Amino acid sequence: MSVYAVNKLCRRIVHEPALREALRDDPEPALRAARPSLSDDEIRALIAGDVGSLSKAGCNHFLLHQLGRWHMFGLDLRTYGERIRAAHADERRAAP
Amino acid sequence: MGVIVGAFGIPHNPHFPTWADGGHPLADEIQSMYRPLALAFERARPDALLYITSDHYNMFWETLPVFAIGVAESARGASDYPELRRELPIDAPLAGEIHAHLVDREFDVAMLQEVEFDHTVIAPLHFLMPEAEVPLIPVYVNAFVRPLPSARRCLQLGRAIRSAIESSPATTRVAVAGSGSFSLEIGGPRISEDSHTGVPDPVWLDRVLQHLRNAAIDDLVIEATDEQLWRAGNAGGEVLDWIAMLGTFDPRPPDHLDVQPQFGHAFAAWALDGTPEA
Repeated sequence: MSVYAVNKLCRRIVHEPALREALRDDPEPALRAARPSLSDDEIRALIAGDVGSLSKAGCNHFLLHQLGRWHMFGLDLRTYGERIRAAHADERRAAP
Repeated sequence: MGVIVGAFGIPHNPHFPTWADGGHPLADEIQSMYRPLALAFERARPDALLYITSDHYNMFWETLPVFAIGVAESARGASDYPELRRELPIDAPLAGEIHAHLVDREFDVAMLQEVEFDHTVIAPLHFLMPEAEVPLIPVYVNAFVRPLPSARRCLQLGRAIRSAIESSPATTRVAVAGSGSFSLEIGGPRISEDSHTGVPDPVWLDRVLQHLRNAAIDDLVIEATDEQLWRAGNAGGEVLDWIAMLGTFDPRPPDHLDVQPQFGHAFAAWALDGTPEA
């Protein structure tokens, strides 16, 4: 994963209402049109709202949480938080 | 000669204006946290507010300046929270003077000829300056995308800003604010069990408060290493905005200091007479 392309998409979601609308109407073509290009894995993860694997891949969390805030890909802030906690359960248990 | 007449440390939770005005359970607490700062701001009678903050991936992304200053005539916001709408004037002549002074002092600060404020400016000013339109001088410190500037460099930036203000030919009364949290994780692995945010390092929060109370700014700077800021959360770098603010006056305990531990942030005010160092 390039990570940068996902981070950039998340940032655009905050600032571009037309992009939010396009992603809600038909996410795959809108994601394929994004530049820099998203990989197939990134597109699959985004459409599935799989923020856990995007987090593990190293995406910026402040930007990633915007997917929950703007209700993209079936997420909201509650499900966003649940998936991040689940993806990082091991290190959370290990934390002091 | 310009004078620094007050300094402020002020948090910028984007939801606070809506909560405070909308009957949220925390509405009274939020109002009571900001009120002493608003009163101190009014008493300081500033002609300009130099506002040190960190852009939250809104104005800067493809290109990320370590330091930047806005020299436009005015700016709108909040770009990232459309429900917060305000346009505020910028003291463009003084901002330009400060910028030139900083570059002359070997601070190669980026010049922003167009500015769009995000919630870090608009949300706190909803409380600090609800009606008055004191022109701003926005100063940006990169607190999010590593490499971050060192705490020492940010303190020196504050000192250079002070020297710029004090060597200005205009007799402008300037208030200085630094905005940010001390420990805060947004959306990352260290969020709490019931939120998309968390306070990963409450010990560091207490430590920063202790240094503020003791005016132990050098200790704060020494301890605010990159590792410590990261331990404090993915927004832990925001203490750099406070440190830059603290560089604009001789160390002294705050006249007002209060904390909201559940948010990892604090509210502070210093009344300053603007007397330059002997």
